[in-house]
Amino acid sequence: MAHQKADLLQGTLDMLILKALSLGPLHGYGIIQRIRQMSGEMLDVEQGSLYPALYRIEQRGWVKSEWDTHETGRRAKFYTLTKVGRKQLIEEEKSWDLLALAITKIRQAT
Amino acid sequence: MERLNILIARLRGLLRREAVIEDIEDELRSHIEWETQTNIERGMKPEEARVLALRSFGNFGRIKELAYEIRGGGIMETIWQDLRFGLRMLAKSPGFTLVAVLTLALGIGANTAIFSVVNAVLLRPLPYPESEGLVRIWEDPGNIAKNFVNPRNYADFRDQNQIFEQVAAISTQSTNLTGEGEPERVINARVASGFFSILRINPALGRTFLPQEDQTGNEHVAVLSHSLWQRRFGADPKAIGQTLMLNGESLTIIGVMPAGFSFPVGIDLWTPLVFTPEQMADSSRGSHFLSVIGRLKPQRTVEQAQAEMDTIYHRLRQQHPESLAKWKVHVFSMYQDSVGGVKSSLFTLLGAVCFVLLIACANVANLMLARATTRQREISIRTALGASRARLIRQLLTESVLLALVGGALGVLLGWGGIKLLVHLDPGTIPRLDEIDIDRSVLIFTSLLSLLSGVIFGLAPAWQSSKIDLNKALKEATGRGSIGGGQAYLRQLFVVAEVALSLVLLVGAGLMIRSFIRLGQVELGFNPENVMAMRVALPRSRYADRPPQIAFYRQVVERVKALPGVQSAALVSDPPISGSVGLWQNGFGIEGRPALPPGQGNSAYLRWTTPDYFKTLGISLLKGRLLTEADNQDTPWVTVIDEAMARRYFPNEDPLGKRVVVYWSEQRPREIVGVVSHVRQTSLDYEAGPHMYIPYYQTPLNYATLLVKTPTDSTALAASIKSEVLAVDRQQPVYAVTTMKQIIAASIAERRFHLTLLGIFAGVALVLATVGIYGVMSYAVTQRTPEIGIRLALGAQASDVLKLVIGRGLLLTVIGVGIGLAAAFALTRLMSGLLFGVSPTDPMTFTGIALLLTLVSLLACYLPARRATKVDPMVALRYE
Repeated sequence: MAHQKADLLQGTLDMLILKALSLGPLHGYGIIQRIRQMSGEMLDVEQGSLYPALYRIEQRGWVKSEWDTHETGRRAKFYTLTKVGRKQLIEEEKSWDLLALAITKIRQAT
Repeated sequence: MERLNILIARLRGLLRREAVIEDIEDELRSHIEWETQTNIERGMKPEEARVLALRSFGNFGRIKELAYEIRGGGIMETIWQDLRFGLRMLAKSPGFTLVAVLTLALGIGANTAIFSVVNAVLLRPLPYPESEGLVRIWEDPGNIAKNFVNPRNYADFRDQNQIFEQVAAISTQSTNLTGEGEPERVINARVASGFFSILRINPALGRTFLPQEDQTGNEHVAVLSHSLWQRRFGADPKAIGQTLMLNGESLTIIGVMPAGFSFPVGIDLWTPLVFTPEQMADSSRGSHFLSVIGRLKPQRTVEQAQAEMDTIYHRLRQQHPESLAKWKVHVFSMYQDSVGGVKSSLFTLLGAVCFVLLIACANVANLMLARATTRQREISIRTALGASRARLIRQLLTESVLLALVGGALGVLLGWGGIKLLVHLDPGTIPRLDEIDIDRSVLIFTSLLSLLSGVIFGLAPAWQSSKIDLNKALKEATGRGSIGGGQAYLRQLFVVAEVALSLVLLVGAGLMIRSFIRLGQVELGFNPENVMAMRVALPRSRYADRPPQIAFYRQVVERVKALPGVQSAALVSDPPISGSVGLWQNGFGIEGRPALPPGQGNSAYLRWTTPDYFKTLGISLLKGRLLTEADNQDTPWVTVIDEAMARRYFPNEDPLGKRVVVYWSEQRPREIVGVVSHVRQTSLDYEAGPHMYIPYYQTPLNYATLLVKTPTDSTALAASIKSEVLAVDRQQPVYAVTTMKQIIAASIAERRFHLTLLGIFAGVALVLATVGIYGVMSYAVTQRTPEIGIRLALGAQASDVLKLVIGRGLLLTVIGVGIGLAAAFALTRLMSGLLFGVSPTDPMTFTGIALLLTLVSLLACYLPARRATKVDPMVALRYE
């Protein structure tokens, strides 16, 4: 069920990734973990969905990436939110809220 | 900044595919490592942890591919693939590629050549520093916008203006250069001292004129042109300080100008311009022979200069009404002055070559459509395999652009050759001829044009070809016919377009041909057959007064007349049809008539002749008598007028016996003794007004053209004539030896040149269009072979089939001709300046060309139509 959601709405996934990074830079695996965390274990993003989405938003300039060594000594590619990305996140959250509101209204109509 | 980094990352993705793939693999692997690590921390055993991590990761290869597709490699990679594929496909069909490339090269090459001319002549600034500030000043007697300037007027302009940094007058003449080596005829420009600083060109050697060298006594200096310096002085740097003899005067060489500089065009050397006190007299406003250049003060405009000069001229006109009554002054920017005249013809030519290119594109588009049919299987398979329509179109367009770029490269070569040919053939009508070459702007233009052409002829076929009904396409064995419908429509559209474009071009050429023929039919008023012409000019130093001049002329004419094979010989100041350069227009008064108010004086054109002039050129006498030997210095002054003058000034009375006074530096009246028929004096397309003929033997000029009539066309006598002249005066060269017919031909050389070019383009267009029509009709017949076969089997006659095919062809042609006529009607008014005696919407030309094109198209349809009638119905049916 959680998978379904992550697959269907690509825009939603982008927003989630941006949100996850808004709290600090992360590598791919870390993004998945954080999303799981923030959603209270309800959302589990597949790698097959994450990386394409990640590269897409990197092309759009919303995040930038850099290889770095983690405190544990291991190397990983870390993604950071850019200024443009920050703005984009706000936009996405706004339109998501509007969408949710509209859908709720429809659901409540008899 | 971040955007830039993104871009760089993308480019890096293209350039280092392996690096990108590696990076992706690294990242994905590190992800797996992390997950493995986490699993281990949760208590799993290492191998289990790894296996679990791998499994939960999913399809590694697929994710890697997805990732690569999104990152580097994106669009650039596919373009690269398209290019390689396109090249392979073009190489596989060499026939098609060759024809297409040649067709495009023709169209693009013509554009390259003409654009180079436009670029050098119209687009590039003049080759002088800060040339926007340069102007030319002309006077205008009322009907000639660029008439020479009078010296005293020039002095007043110079002294009274506030708007020019400097002005300088120029007077060109050909003179005799003697001294070491052979006497040579050179073109000398006498210029005011500010001339060189106005142009801001420094000498290559030595110096140019100082202000004081404008004054009498200091003016025996000369500046040489580079070519004269090389030719006559062997490019010796020690030429500075040497002397040369010009018209018998000794001049010191003070400088040499750089190579390539020659202002005005064709000048061999410059000397100071000094005015005589008579020329500077306040009342001497009658003779005009100067051209004037100037440089505006910074930030001033040509309009401001014109306004100020108008004011000054108004003042002068009020002070000297009898000389300047209807005159005006004009200020032109130097650029406008040099190139303004050819702008419209150059743009006409540019338009013409654009049409040729469009026709070429239409042909290639048709070729591509035909080819797409044979590639249908390949396209269908690719579509079935998942290629998007956009991808297909992009790939087909890449092929078109490749074709166009190759065609363009070849076109540059053709254009280069075309330029060489143009420059060689040009009869002096293209200004700045030496500046025409293929420079960066031309190459950029050609590249852009090629790209654009590629898109133009490639887009429609690509669009059409990628539109496939997969089911039908894959089912059909031959892959024919399913594309038929839309394709056929496109091909017919192209044919209609080609016909229309050709029509416009042919109408343009046709109009010019008619103008040319009209010119040829103009009544000359004289007989130019078998008449040789050559010029002599008498230097002031040895022929200061009338008696020696007259003596020289008399002797020359007598000697030449005595030569065997000479039917008659005479002198004239300037032969007819040699342009308005030597035209003297002067006011005159008629004795016995009340003085006319200022501003309404009579004026006529003057021509000096010796008695046999009329006989030499076959001008008939209408009344009275011609000039004779008896009219000399000791007898009363006489003149012969032409019928135009008789009609205008003596409409109701007999002009014979009346006396006129010409205001050209003389006050003695002349008696009219004869009236001759009118002659086309200046050029074929310009009707000059009344004429007066003045005897050389009474009041000579210091130059003349010798006309010699011989029984045949040959110029074999030229050498003997020259030696007779030299026998009279050993130091007197004759120059500009030519014939009357050549003079006339030269006067229309410019028209003939434009006509030739336009005719070539129209011809090429016609050939291309014919080929295009033939191709489309031929292909249509092939397409419809089954249908034709069925018709024949059902009893149709050969004539019915013929009618079918030709009918279709005729329909397309008629539509094309209709559109073309409408377009031509709208466009030809743009070239009305180039026409003579023909209106831009001349019905005869339009209908004639329409008929011609229809006929040609019908011929092009004929062969395919005949082929259609030979179709064997059985074969056609089995084909299906």
